[in-house]
Amino acid sequence: MRFAYYPGCSARSTCAELNVATHRVARRLGLDLLQLDSATCTGARELRAIDPAGFYTLNIRILALAEREQLPLMTICNTCTLNLLDAHAAFVSDEALAQGVNDKLAPENLKYSGHTRISHFLWVLYENIGEERLRELVTTPLTGLTVAAFYGCHITRPPLRYGFIDSRNNVAIERLAEILGCRPIDYSGRTECCGFHTAAHDETVAIKLTGQHIMSAKTGGAHAMVTPCPLCHTVLDGFQREIERDLGRSLDVPVLHLPQLVGLALGLTPEELNLDRHIVAAAKVAHTGRKHGAMNAVE
Amino acid sequence: MTLQIQISPRDGASRIGQAERNDSLVARNSRVEPGTNIVVRIRRQEHDTGHYDTFSVPYRKWMRVLDALEWIAENKAPDLAYRWICGSKMCGTCAVRMNGREVLACWEAVEPEMTIEPLRNLPVIRDLVVDRRPFEDRVAGLEPWIERPSAYAGFPEPLSHKQMKDASKALDCIGCMCCYSACPVIGLGSLTDFAGPAPLVQLGQTALDPRNSPAKIARSLALTGIFNCVSCYKCEEVCPAAIPIVSRVIEPLKAKAALLLPERARHARAMRRIVAERGRVDPGALILSVQGLRALLRLPRIIRLLLRGKISPLRTIFRIKTAATEPARRLLGREASQ
Repeated sequence: MRFAYYPGCSARSTCAELNVATHRVARRLGLDLLQLDSATCTGARELRAIDPAGFYTLNIRILALAEREQLPLMTICNTCTLNLLDAHAAFVSDEALAQGVNDKLAPENLKYSGHTRISHFLWVLYENIGEERLRELVTTPLTGLTVAAFYGCHITRPPLRYGFIDSRNNVAIERLAEILGCRPIDYSGRTECCGFHTAAHDETVAIKLTGQHIMSAKTGGAHAMVTPCPLCHTVLDGFQREIERDLGRSLDVPVLHLPQLVGLALGLTPEELNLDRHIVAAAKVAHTGRKHGAMNAVE
Repeated sequence: MTLQIQISPRDGASRIGQAERNDSLVARNSRVEPGTNIVVRIRRQEHDTGHYDTFSVPYRKWMRVLDALEWIAENKAPDLAYRWICGSKMCGTCAVRMNGREVLACWEAVEPEMTIEPLRNLPVIRDLVVDRRPFEDRVAGLEPWIERPSAYAGFPEPLSHKQMKDASKALDCIGCMCCYSACPVIGLGSLTDFAGPAPLVQLGQTALDPRNSPAKIARSLALTGIFNCVSCYKCEEVCPAAIPIVSRVIEPLKAKAALLLPERARHARAMRRIVAERGRVDPGALILSVQGLRALLRLPRIIRLLLRGKISPLRTIFRIKTAATEPARRLLGREASQ
């Protein structure tokens, strides 16, 4: 199965390990990824607020790049996914906007017709690989590993886009974790906000909010957290030392990108998945799973 | 290869959990059989101390949270404090938290087991009744009215749907405070000066009206701390009036703030400038641009990020181009704005 692949900015900078892991896991899954190298940023939350026209143009250009290849588009970032979905929705419902953007894309011989299907890696696992095939592909079940799924916001809200009355009812990551052999926990932070989008000008909000979530995951017995969004990862992992200082206690909770968790169960090594590139040591997660798995086997 | 037009990922994997967790109006209304009882835990509070009382309530078909409260007040706890006026989703006075989610008691189907609590982020007067004063004071402080930049030309004063498209969404607000209770930034108290979703929606009713003067709008927006909104959409999720609070009120207000109060929009403007110049976000350039030398206070983290290869000073200093640079410059740069 071939996909146009949009890694976004974070997976090419502060979370480069996510891009590496995604490519390696995709090969194991039989996904052929065509990385869209000329794709720009989707504008995060800032562009859409202060320059909607520019926001639509950049996002629809990314959709047009995928459409030119006649491929569905795979994303690995919550915020990019929502931006692309929102831009697509605006394009198909506003003819004047659609025409205006296509005029801007014309010098590049690009044109969007509204046919690109946007799918986050999490959804690709279910829709294109399937639960049954995924079970077959698991060579190293992560038995004994207790994980806390941290969805973040833009993969489960707003309701007008995703349709949940209560976004806490999303259980896609927990169900996946079970397929991979882990034990998912229920905790208060699952679908809460990490505060990333204001962190560039004021980190205190992100530190306070995410501190509560990591604490709740740790109290719930999680060995690790797993997130489908590199922006959440940046706060959960990258800010964890500052969060510990703010809380006045040690946390030391490893945070995995979703493709890394899948990769471990598919038999990739922590090194292949770049687990050594995290701020909070994460390679130990692989051993936690295997150690407990071995103990369970003995029992 | 033919692909279907996707309006929204309303099917498939993006909705996993919806069916098994009864996340639809039909499922919610058919969970309890008439003749059975539901369990209702209510937070009781007077002054600073509180506790929970549990009641068993006979279920009636189409029973709402408000009906359960009424039954409890009439049969078991005549001193239960709760508030409602219209009972039909118009007055916005009956909002409570049910199983951790803000709902209008008059509009929400009961659940087989439910915990009812007062709204968060407002002082509790008694039981489920909160003091709306902090919200009302904040709104009044924002001066939510129109000041015309020129004299009133007289009636009729035609306004197009397009001119009013965002203000009209804000005008759907019933002032129920669900969003104010759900907002995580408001939950952090005085940590920021963020006004919160409900006051911003109230302000949007006039600040997004084309008849209002830019000077007036700027004066109000300066008091909102609007760039502290984390864009989590918790407000949209609980809004009983289905107002797209983030995308149709807060973001249009941010656009006005970026224009009228550019210094407040440093982060957003820096982000746009970097994307326009480079095509992608360079986190180093963004942080330096927004925080200036303050960024150096984070030296331990900078070292940690450098050691893990997560930031590249060379990329920041030499503004290294990528394949995305030229398209971004053409579409967002000077050329695009001419």
